[in-house]
Amino acid sequence: MSIMEYNGGSVIAMVGKDCVAIASDLRLGNQALGISSNFQKIFPVTDRIYLGLPGLATDVTTLRERFRFRVNMYTIKEEREIEPETFAHLVSSTLYQHRFGPYFIEPVMAGLSKTPSGGVKPFIAATDLIGCLNFAKDFVVAGTASSKLFGVAEGLWEPDLEPEDLFETISQTLLNAVDRDAYSGWGAIVHVITKDKVITRTLKGRMD
Amino acid sequence: MDHFPTNWGRPRNDAHDAYGTYPIAERPYNGPKDSFSEGVQHTQQPIVTGTSVLAIKYKDGIMMAADNLASYGSLARFKDVQRLHTVGNHTVIGAGGDMSDFQYIQNILDELIIDEFTAQDGHSLGPAEIHEYLAQVLYARRSKMDPLWNSLLVGGFKDGKKFLAYVDLLGTTYSASTLATGYGAYIAQPLLRSAVENNEDTLTEEAARKIIEDSMRVLFYRDARSINKYQIATITAAGTSISESNHLETSWDFAEGIRGYGAQTQ
Amino acid sequence: MPGLPQQRQFNPYSENGGTILAIAGADFSVIAGDTRQSEGYNIQTRYAPKVFRLTDRAVLAVNGFAADGNMFVKSVKQRLEWYRHAHAKDMPLRAIARLIQTMLYARRFFPYYVYNILGGIEEDGTGAVYSFDPVGSYEREACRAAGAAQSLVQPFLDNQIYFKNQLAAAGTSHPTHLPLPTVLSIVIDSFTSATERHIEVGDGLEMYVVLAKGRTLQGLEGIRGMQELTTTDDGERVFVVRRELKKD
Repeated sequence: MSIMEYNGGSVIAMVGKDCVAIASDLRLGNQALGISSNFQKIFPVTDRIYLGLPGLATDVTTLRERFRFRVNMYTIKEEREIEPETFAHLVSSTLYQHRFGPYFIEPVMAGLSKTPSGGVKPFIAATDLIGCLNFAKDFVVAGTASSKLFGVAEGLWEPDLEPEDLFETISQTLLNAVDRDAYSGWGAIVHVITKDKVITRTLKGRMD
Repeated sequence: MDHFPTNWGRPRNDAHDAYGTYPIAERPYNGPKDSFSEGVQHTQQPIVTGTSVLAIKYKDGIMMAADNLASYGSLARFKDVQRLHTVGNHTVIGAGGDMSDFQYIQNILDELIIDEFTAQDGHSLGPAEIHEYLAQVLYARRSKMDPLWNSLLVGGFKDGKKFLAYVDLLGTTYSASTLATGYGAYIAQPLLRSAVENNEDTLTEEAARKIIEDSMRVLFYRDARSINKYQIATITAAGTSISESNHLETSWDFAEGIRGYGAQTQ
Repeated sequence: MPGLPQQRQFNPYSENGGTILAIAGADFSVIAGDTRQSEGYNIQTRYAPKVFRLTDRAVLAVNGFAADGNMFVKSVKQRLEWYRHAHAKDMPLRAIARLIQTMLYARRFFPYYVYNILGGIEEDGTGAVYSFDPVGSYEREACRAAGAAQSLVQPFLDNQIYFKNQLAAAGTSHPTHLPLPTVLSIVIDSFTSATERHIEVGDGLEMYVVLAKGRTLQGLEGIRGMQELTTTDDGERVFVVRRELKKD
């Protein structure tokens, strides 16, 4: 039995034109037994950063609180919002502190960082369970359906997608990947982060 | 029924053996024997082994090389073993792995060639046929869970066509313009590929010989089960030839100043 | 156990990577596979075919343990030749599918470690794909991927071939069968994607196309480097299209 597959679940993030998207399934299971179809594993960190935490459910809760605490401390000390790049390193170092007794979570981050000219730059990143960072330019995936997500995303994704097209791409990628994964599915949620708003939609998917 | 009366034992005599204590000799068993009562012994591991074999395609045909060492574990046991073998008029095979299994393979191939020769039908086995035959033999043996523990390269030239292919103890086969078995697959194969790929029809014999020699030298430096004495086979339109043993020129000057390489003075 | 010699079991199997895939159209079938053969991190060769023409209407793709695969194809071809000699015609596709099941199940307790996908044209002229597990379970499908990158390719095919999770525009419906050029594009995309994300996939791509009797080449004339393998004049036709894949 693998701890990473104990509760199931998957997350994916994609880069678009001046926007990013992050999406996950909503299943919580006890191995093959489905427990909940409304288990959130993506959480807002700031207005412009979302964090997905696929893996062991108990660690999802623990890490969410831990990151909320550490981001709050950062905000108070620095008197400004954390940038996505900084947050990625915060996630990485938090996980690496537990190098020899890790949290069983593979975080996925999506956000918009500010540019000097006042615009926004899309940012996505993912780490393994001990904090090895992966800054991808296209998409990152994690969870029990990761190999399926890689396959579909590699086929569907293209550069510079507008928010609505990015929404369609990430939704199709996630839905079709989790439909081939016994440990993921039971509904899905998508967040598309743009310069001035975050579009959040719950998707209707197969419930078997 | 045991048909040997002497095995039936003496009738007991109550006069002097009232309690049946007279030792009756243990009767030999003359019934049918089960030859397999202790199981059939199969090759579970190679014993005396050869290391890498290298082969490449070049302008005129195929060039193959293997050193002359047969190891017994880490002991350099036999230092004048030939691991290249001519089969018929158009083929050379080279073997890594168990040398007794290889010598058995040489025997069955020699018999095969004699059988085919005796037919006098105007046909002769080429490298493709030899390779196919070996693949069938090795696959059949692995399917009996009694493998012939070898990695073999088959090189040949017949009817103007070059042939180079691999077959191993599992019956796995493949073909490419450069092949290497054992450690050669890790150490020599990259060198061979970068020198030979896309140059199969232009590479001269001299250049091919240099690539092979350089690769054998690198293998000698890094493969602890190798030796600096090796043979090169060429298979061309002119037929097959296996060279006398060559000695590799090596230089260990670099080791002079490195602690842990050469003899230490303190 | 004292007295018994300690034994290390000889492992008669290996895995040689690669991926295969087949898609059935209304009156054609595409059967494809990459040409890399590997063992662990070692690339044994960049060209070892995994897709084989059996008859003018049947093509078989085999993936898994290469030695078993080659031996299995050899046996199937032999059985098909015997059938030809007995009945003076090629075995129909559905009969080949059943033959493959019995041949695989015959080795139930020492299986061929091979995933098979059979593609071709049925007697009624429709394109068909049959997929098998190593011990002979099989079914007819419209599309199937197998091998090292099955998990990458199959969900992509669900989406692009079966239109899973896609709604047709109001008043319309999804096509049940796609045209040949579209199918070839999807096959090429599947393999380039798999090559990008799976180390055991790459080097070369071979796509076999089987066309139903009397079907025109329509839409296929422009395909680069297409080669015909048909052996008869008035039956189904077989073609092969080759493409390079990344070699890293």
